[in-house]
Amino acid sequence: MKRMLIAILMLFPVVSFAVVPDWTILPAESSIRFVGAQNNAPVKGEFKKFTGKIHFDPEQLNDSLVSIKVDMNSVSTSYKDFTITLLNNEWFNVSVFPTAEFIANEFIKKADGQYEAKGKLTIRDKTLPLTIGFEAKQMPNELVRVTGHTTLKRLEFGIGQGEWQSTSEVADEVDVYFDIVAKKVSG
Amino acid sequence: MQFRNSMDRYGLIAISFHWLMAIIIIGLIALGVYMVPLSVSSLKLKLYRWHKEFGLIILYLIFFRLAWRLADRTPSLLGQLPWWQKIAAKTVHATLYFFMFIVPMTGWLLTSATGFPVSFFGWFLMPDLVQPNEVVRVWMVFSHKWLSYIMAGLICVHIAATIQHYVVHKDNILRKMLP
Repeated sequence: MKRMLIAILMLFPVVSFAVVPDWTILPAESSIRFVGAQNNAPVKGEFKKFTGKIHFDPEQLNDSLVSIKVDMNSVSTSYKDFTITLLNNEWFNVSVFPTAEFIANEFIKKADGQYEAKGKLTIRDKTLPLTIGFEAKQMPNELVRVTGHTTLKRLEFGIGQGEWQSTSEVADEVDVYFDIVAKKVSG
Repeated sequence: MQFRNSMDRYGLIAISFHWLMAIIIIGLIALGVYMVPLSVSSLKLKLYRWHKEFGLIILYLIFFRLAWRLADRTPSLLGQLPWWQKIAAKTVHATLYFFMFIVPMTGWLLTSATGFPVSFFGWFLMPDLVQPNEVVRVWMVFSHKWLSYIMAGLICVHIAATIQHYVVHKDNILRKMLP
């Protein structure tokens, strides 16, 4: 029995035991931006601080895992009053829900360098399944640049309580764009 | 009632421009004074939208109005007016035209500098005149506010002059601008 097990194990190609590399985000070169609509016109903002655990290998998608944590307090817009409004309890409610998190544990290759990440997004106290398409580009010096975008419905996450549940002034859809540069740290 | 001006009274086109823009401008000033101190709410956003959209209407209309004024003759001021009153009337008129242009422009600059582009009734998006910029925004808040107050003052002078003509001179110049 023991011998047979060893024999079976020996049949597996060595590559399947390769370690999935970890990547660390370079904050200065990365951004998470959003574009919403107020009064039928776009309004922009971004999150200045976010961290991520990226455990990703295009050759081992089944063993890849990515989690991105966004510091909701770091929201930044061109106008102070707009930023303050987003921080308050009717919007992000950062004092109660300081972070948003996306955890992706299922990856599908769509084309060369094009992937789809399936996972769960938590904003405020709502967690919903989310699939995001992204493009990964190898860069020199063990760097990779990951870009993509998705459209979220703010009301599904309870962003905009009370009178803000109306979409006549602020649209439900918010486009989120990410551009992340990460450096390989192991593997 | 004819479309064009005659030498002693305004025609239908000029009268329409005058009263339509008068109603919108007075409404915009009142709305502006009311909406600015409101705390952030969906009502405030709605009022700002109306203010911006109707402000843009003024900006569009002033070009057509000036084009029409240049194309058509201007009724002469009453002959018996002292020279300084003629100058005063012409100066107030010219200044009001200038304000009908500069006040909406500073509003447009203000909203661009804030990072809030403006949609014209959901039909099309106005281009941003400047990139979002806090220094420009603060300057435009100041300019838009004080130019509007000065414009409100000029409108009062303009109305007061009409009343003065009616009450003191009993010449009822207002009739020139009525259908």
